Amino acid sequence: MTRLAAPLVLLLLAARPAAAQLPRYVGVDVGVSSASFQSTAPGGGEKLSGFAGVGHWRIVLRPVSIDVAYTQGRLSADTGSAVPRALVDGSVFATYRPVPWLALKAGPHVRAFAATGGTERWMLWEGRAHADAPLLDGEWQAYGELWVALASSVNVTPGSGGARGAEAGLTLKLPQSPVWARLAYAVDQMRLRNDARTESLQSVALTFGFGGR
Amino acid sequence: MTRAALLAAALGLVAGAARAQTPADLIGRGVRAYQNLDYDSAAAFLARALAKPDSALGDSDRVRGLVYLGASDLYRDKRDSAAAAFARLLRLDPRYHIDQLVFPPEITGLFQQVRLVTRAVAVVVPPAVELRGAGDALPISLYATTFHPVEVAVLKPDGSSLRTLYQGGVGDSLVVHWDGRAADGSPPDSGSYVLQVVSRGSDGRVVRTVSLPLEVARVRRDTLPWPAPVADSLLLPEQAPGRSGMRALGAGFATVLAIAVLPSLVASSASASANRFVVAGGISIAAILGFRGERRPQPIDANIAANRALQDTWQRQADSVHAVNVTRGREVRLRIRTGAAQVTEGP
Repeated sequence: MTRLAAPLVLLLLAARPAAAQLPRYVGVDVGVSSASFQSTAPGGGEKLSGFAGVGHWRIVLRPVSIDVAYTQGRLSADTGSAVPRALVDGSVFATYRPVPWLALKAGPHVRAFAATGGTERWMLWEGRAHADAPLLDGEWQAYGELWVALASSVNVTPGSGGARGAEAGLTLKLPQSPVWARLAYAVDQMRLRNDARTESLQSVALTFGFGGR
Repeated sequence: MTRAALLAAALGLVAGAARAQTPADLIGRGVRAYQNLDYDSAAAFLARALAKPDSALGDSDRVRGLVYLGASDLYRDKRDSAAAAFARLLRLDPRYHIDQLVFPPEITGLFQQVRLVTRAVAVVVPPAVELRGAGDALPISLYATTFHPVEVAVLKPDGSSLRTLYQGGVGDSLVVHWDGRAADGSPPDSGSYVLQVVSRGSDGRVVRTVSLPLEVARVRRDTLPWPAPVADSLLLPEQAPGRSGMRALGAGFATVLAIAVLPSLVASSASASANRFVVAGGISIAAILGFRGERRPQPIDANIAANRALQDTWQRQADSVHAVNVTRGREVRLRIRTGAAQVTEGP
């Protein structure tokens, strides 16, 4: 519990000065994601894939911004007799940019796989580093993001053994336009304690966004 | 008989001497004779002087001679001749008023009687006037011998009326203004026109016409000079040389490389998804386009804005000058020069 409280306090401290400021920018992304799930255990594994809807909302309160993401879809078995399940993934991050090309994020991340036999829930407190690299006049940008779970829990025995992930992609924005498109690849891996099982999720998402000051 | 012979001899002597004298001298001798009560001699000298052509005698001397001739004739019991002399005087100078300190009442009385029946108008116009716009006008001063109807008009070169300025009676004096416009309100073309003042008798017939030539010239105002274009030395460069483009290529390459190796770094136990190469391909294309875009000359927005501000300022000045010049081009100024009056007696 103490491990969970520390990041939360940090998040609140970061958010307090931001709350006193007016919104400087608001943006919304929506799109679709092609997701591929794979679990590996000493006794075997399973592969599932499917499509999910993606939504992402950002409000920028300089120098801090709040990012809220939500993904929901359904995964079906690629091989074997894996049970189809629903994927629900949500996160809230407080983001701070010490320099324009680098963003540091922290916040909770929840992921759930809901199947007829039960629901597996992961609760993560993550720290993320996000870097932007301009490709053309600052309107086209490539980006990369690495993250690690600072604290994690899961409702599956023997409990969480940690998680990490990464994301890379491309943002295309027309000059003087409030509209953009984003193409991204994300991969992460969550481990049960003692490597009893590893679960990895890879996704390719295409989203379209709209934002303004 | 003796007296007549003496008079004839004297007149002969006088005439002989007068032949060698100027008309002005004759006027002076006639006036002195009048003042010496020698009215016959005065009339003779004055008649001789006034018979000279107009060019030989100035108007002031002619007026002086006529008034003394009329007075002399009246004292010689030639009332009609006296009246004719006064009428001739008034037609020559309708503004003339006889001096009541010099001439006795019977003379001034006859003069006033003649004035009442002699219809003439003196016309006084400035020799040159420029009409610059609304409110400006050519003043035409009329001085009448007695009250009578007159018509004041400006005639075209062909004699037709350009504009009738006044129709009505004139008592002592009247000022009529011409604003330099035709009857329809338009400015006349440059050319020769005539200011005509017609005096009418009691029966409506024309008894006297005064004509003054008017030379009308349209004058356009000078236009403002066009503002000097913005000097090249004041304009800032609007483009910077292109960059190498390696930044875009480097960023794209690094991102593609990351996508290729991320599965093995993050999720080594899972098989990597081939879908990630869709993203890698998109980034590659964007990086190549970015590479080409960065090598192109880059616009300098601040300089473009500064140059545009200079050009806009110049354009505003040019628009202002253009508007002023258009207005000035529409304005028509008239320069009017007036010639010497010509008087025609009778219809």
